[in-house]
Amino acid sequence: MEITTKYNPAGTVAICQMKAGEVLTAEGGAFMALQGDVSFETTTRQRNSGGMLSGLKRLISGESFFINKFTARSDAQIYLGTALPGDIFVKELRGEKLVIQGGSYVACESGVEIDLEWQGLKSVFSGESLFWVKAKGTGKVVVNTFGFLYPVQVDGEYLVDTGHIVAFEETLNFTISKASQSWIGAFLSGEGFICRFKGKGTVWCQSHSPRSFGMELRSMLRPKQ
Amino acid sequence: MNPSMPQTTMAPVTMNKIATELIGSNSFRMLKVNLAPRQTITVEPGLMASQNTQINCVTEMNGNILSALGSKIFGGESFFINHYTNKGSKTADLYVTQTTPGDMFEKQMNGETLFIEAGAFIARTSGIKCQTVWAGFTSLFAGEGLFRLKYSGHGTLWFGSYGAVFEKEINGDLIVDSGHLVAYPPHMKLKLKLAGGLFSSIFSKEGFVLKISGQGKIILQTRSVKGLADWLNARFWG
Repeated sequence: MEITTKYNPAGTVAICQMKAGEVLTAEGGAFMALQGDVSFETTTRQRNSGGMLSGLKRLISGESFFINKFTARSDAQIYLGTALPGDIFVKELRGEKLVIQGGSYVACESGVEIDLEWQGLKSVFSGESLFWVKAKGTGKVVVNTFGFLYPVQVDGEYLVDTGHIVAFEETLNFTISKASQSWIGAFLSGEGFICRFKGKGTVWCQSHSPRSFGMELRSMLRPKQ
Repeated sequence: MNPSMPQTTMAPVTMNKIATELIGSNSFRMLKVNLAPRQTITVEPGLMASQNTQINCVTEMNGNILSALGSKIFGGESFFINHYTNKGSKTADLYVTQTTPGDMFEKQMNGETLFIEAGAFIARTSGIKCQTVWAGFTSLFAGEGLFRLKYSGHGTLWFGSYGAVFEKEINGDLIVDSGHLVAYPPHMKLKLKLAGGLFSSIFSKEGFVLKISGQGKIILQTRSVKGLADWLNARFWG
């Protein structure tokens, strides 16, 4: 399947060129349009495993409870968009694993298996999603970003604010730690929690943090009367 | 004085200029800082996106206690400020962002003064000072707070905009919405004005506008977070 992007970086759309028999699994809110003979099914699971529990996990992870499974019966195009302005990144997996921030996952080809992984308490404290999406297999994965994307080749150690992580290669280990040396400093610095990556591999970062933007807006939104 | 230090007639020790680059496009700008060993840059809390590990972050009060308190309570800025210093022996990167999508503006300061609206400040080099000064009641009614933030000194200052940075040279008066004003020079006068008559000003959201008078360059942003919030509020709850 050929997946291209257009109108980067602010209003990016992903265009998936499908051939008969090809399957695309997309996160619930990402669907924009489709052209051609495509059957689609809304389900709580990607394959025959998981069921309701995996749907619940997906909900908690910041993804929609439901995912859309598109099966092309002829040549077809599926257009995918995202809620926030920003770029879309297409990564081709060749057997390796990619860890994706919960809210950044958009879609994948049928050769890619996605799983939601509990990252333990270290993720709870970070204020970000409790689950990260693990993608493995062969095929393309589509990921969204708030703002533009910048890859960083890590060799040794590197720090990324938890709100700016889009995805990273599984060759990297990470620990969630505080931004400042002291706990008081970490609390006061406003940075809160950062991810300390160790090893060798790529981490893809987004220029803007959805959480920071949300927090700024939240202070001005009126509560429901 | 330390006898081993060579005597110099230069008043402030000017470190080598920090290598910086504004990356991305005007819809999503980022400031990439390449810190040489021992160089320091001061950044608004919460804006560090990613960094090399040899850069050390120290959190300090933003100026003295009064100024810090003033900034926090009245200026809408943070009480604290982060100093990032490269403690390593090699050049290290720091990516600095802002909370809203939009452009960033870089200003070389050679002793001049600039007023910057709360929330717009991103980063500064060590020669730039931030002070909280009395703004008058005009500012309070415009939703801006009683104090304003004054930046002065020698060095580089970065601030951000929601939307594009819109520079405007004026000689005379300009009426602006307070949510779109980002920065203006100190010799320009700000006055609160009613958008329409008294009645429509009180009962409409537009209410008050600012009148800027004088000669100089002011900086506006083409979007306003308050504008977005008002738009959303109206659609959520009517």
